[in-house]
Amino acid sequence: MNLKDCHNFSDFRKLAKKKLPSPIFHYIDGAADDEITYARNTSAFDDVDLVPNVLRGVEDVDLSTTIFGKKLDLPFYLAPTALQRLFHYDGERAVGKAAQKFNTMFGVSALATVSVEEISSMIDTPKMFQFYFHKDRGLNDSCLERAKAAKFDVMALTVDTITGGNRERDLRTGFTSPPKLTLSSLFSFAIKPMWGINYLTKGKFELPHLQDYVKEGTDTNTSIGNYFSTMLDQSMNWKDAEKLCAQWGGHFALKGVMSVEDAKRAVDIGCTGIMVSNHGGRQLDGSRSPFDQLAEIVDAVGDKLDVICEGGIHRGTHMLKALSLGAKACSGGRLYLYALAAGGQAGVERAIEKYKSELVRDMKLMGCTKISDLNRDNLRFRR
Amino acid sequence: MSLKNCHNFEDFRKLAKKKLPSPIFHYIDGGADDESTLRRNTDSFNDCDLVPNILASVGKPDLSTTLFGRKIDMPIFLSPAAMQRLYHHEGDIASARAADKFGTFYSMSSMGNNTIEEVSNISSGPKLFQLYVHKDRSISDDLIERSRRSGFDAMCLTVDTLVAGNRERDHRSGFTTPPKLTLKSLMSFIMRPEWVFNYLTHKKFELSNVAKKTDKGTNIAKSVMEYINEQYDPAMSWKDAEYCVKKWNGPFALKGVMSIEDARRAIDIGCTAIMISNHGGRQLDGSRSPFDQVKAISDAVGDKLEIILDGGVRRGTHVLKALAAGAKACSFGKMFLFSLAAGGQKGVEKLLQNMQDEIRRNMVLMGCKTLKEVDISKIIYRK
Repeated sequence: MNLKDCHNFSDFRKLAKKKLPSPIFHYIDGAADDEITYARNTSAFDDVDLVPNVLRGVEDVDLSTTIFGKKLDLPFYLAPTALQRLFHYDGERAVGKAAQKFNTMFGVSALATVSVEEISSMIDTPKMFQFYFHKDRGLNDSCLERAKAAKFDVMALTVDTITGGNRERDLRTGFTSPPKLTLSSLFSFAIKPMWGINYLTKGKFELPHLQDYVKEGTDTNTSIGNYFSTMLDQSMNWKDAEKLCAQWGGHFALKGVMSVEDAKRAVDIGCTGIMVSNHGGRQLDGSRSPFDQLAEIVDAVGDKLDVICEGGIHRGTHMLKALSLGAKACSGGRLYLYALAAGGQAGVERAIEKYKSELVRDMKLMGCTKISDLNRDNLRFRR
Repeated sequence: MSLKNCHNFEDFRKLAKKKLPSPIFHYIDGGADDESTLRRNTDSFNDCDLVPNILASVGKPDLSTTLFGRKIDMPIFLSPAAMQRLYHHEGDIASARAADKFGTFYSMSSMGNNTIEEVSNISSGPKLFQLYVHKDRSISDDLIERSRRSGFDAMCLTVDTLVAGNRERDHRSGFTTPPKLTLKSLMSFIMRPEWVFNYLTHKKFELSNVAKKTDKGTNIAKSVMEYINEQYDPAMSWKDAEYCVKKWNGPFALKGVMSIEDARRAIDIGCTAIMISNHGGRQLDGSRSPFDQVKAISDAVGDKLEIILDGGVRRGTHVLKALAAGAKACSFGKMFLFSLAAGGQKGVEKLLQNMQDEIRRNMVLMGCKTLKEVDISKIIYRK
């Protein structure tokens, strides 16, 4: 199996599984507790059907959309994810270049393995920096200032990781950052020698936004759950978010809003967008899926800020459903991470190309030529 | 396993699988993307229950009805399906003869392997011609003219294939028309020598009705997807459809209508029928199933045109549920193609006999003497 056999999400996932040491694969693939929310994030899309309109003349389809004041060529973007160089030695370099090629937004995590400065010198397309509120205020200020200096367009404050989710696969595999060899994980690394060679020879593993302030994640092995639980400030409140928003002074989003009440407060503190997200089912298992919750939130605040549907998206038709309900755009992490592991930049480009061609095809079959043609008349919810 | 062991859809499917090279079997069997709409087309019937009336002294129920101005002996018929010579060397001739024998419609696809004239010579039964609007409009005009001269009763225009669906099984199997031998598919053909022998010793494979007008699909090995994308006009509009309706000037259906709005417009342009269909789940995955949508459409326009439910029908009880919800008749493609592959004309006859027996038996059990009595009072939707 290689890249050209990858036609969809699950193909990329299979190939990633072949290439990655199993603790790393399961770090991407896993979620919290019983992974019920993780599964629901995708199956939620099956409870609503698309109803096409015919004979509308659909030769040319325009997929462009505007979020955070930036025009993107696609109605979806690459959500910020941590530790990308563990998945492919090019990490954020590969993902950023792929995003630039398709002119969509690239989200860079505070836990990224390539610096905002390098990314900014590499691509000139829209960029989002994802921020974790640490106990160490010096670290917080440094992140904000560096992202601003590097001309990032959007700041997204993650609000659903106040403590680490219970990712039981990581407990079993012993996944940590940086990866730690243990007796039980030794074998899983030994049987993927290419990954090991690349990891050891393609540049040192770093967390450039954090390592001047904290040892955890680089010099000291830590699980991601443990990192969240010990390093992030659990006293974070709306005042802190409001301060950050003012300090940033540009497009600002809260990532991980699920209730209508919180969405309204996001408007009040000056946010220009929210990501309806449960962190890919990796935090609170049993929590509601973004798609299930989307309509209420759009009804309440859709005219006041950009609502992004994030999580569970595997297909162009899933995006059409979310956009029809009123999301401004969709995003996802696993959406491109398996592809990154499967084939670096070429893999991510192939994944984006696949979703794009699905969207063009599906828009035509729906009788729509631009994103704003999509609306709730296109949908019927099953009983 | 032989024809006499075929009691239902699944049996015919199994026998077809035994007889066909696997790329061809999967071309029939597959749907778009994740095939969720393909599954839902049949599953949706299970969200609705039949409610019988007892002691109705039914005797031998009358299954006849009228469709497209012709009396037919039962409320089911064969959907138009392309390239039937791939499934059995007698192709359309076999299915047309079987339909004639059971007094119901045979439908000819624009992409048939027999000519309009050949079929009209061997069958005086009810016949429907299925039209695609080609980029080269003279092809469509020619097909309409010839169908009229050859005594076809009705015409349907397919409106849900402006662009080819994403049929991933075909990507994997490398299915093309005419079949192309590749290293990968070689084994699948070698293992079905009888099919290969018949294919090579009978009439040459061609898209007979359009062979003179286009060389695509005959000389050059193309996937069906490429053919659709090259030849069909994605700019097709209501004006084009209206042109075809006027030109034909007889019973006319749009095939692939799913929204109430479109159903109303079909009346406005002079259609006498619509086929509620998502192309057997082969085009837009995530789209609504015909049975989920039939009642709403029937409530809106059922008194103004004939409604045909196309998709997911596998049982006599499915037909009764569709009729109760407002359909005039049901049609099916996959099911009869499997029976054609399983046993040619005899196979299709066996299927039609099974279906006739099922419908008759179920009407007795329901306490209905005529199809008129199969109305909305006979079903209850589950919540």
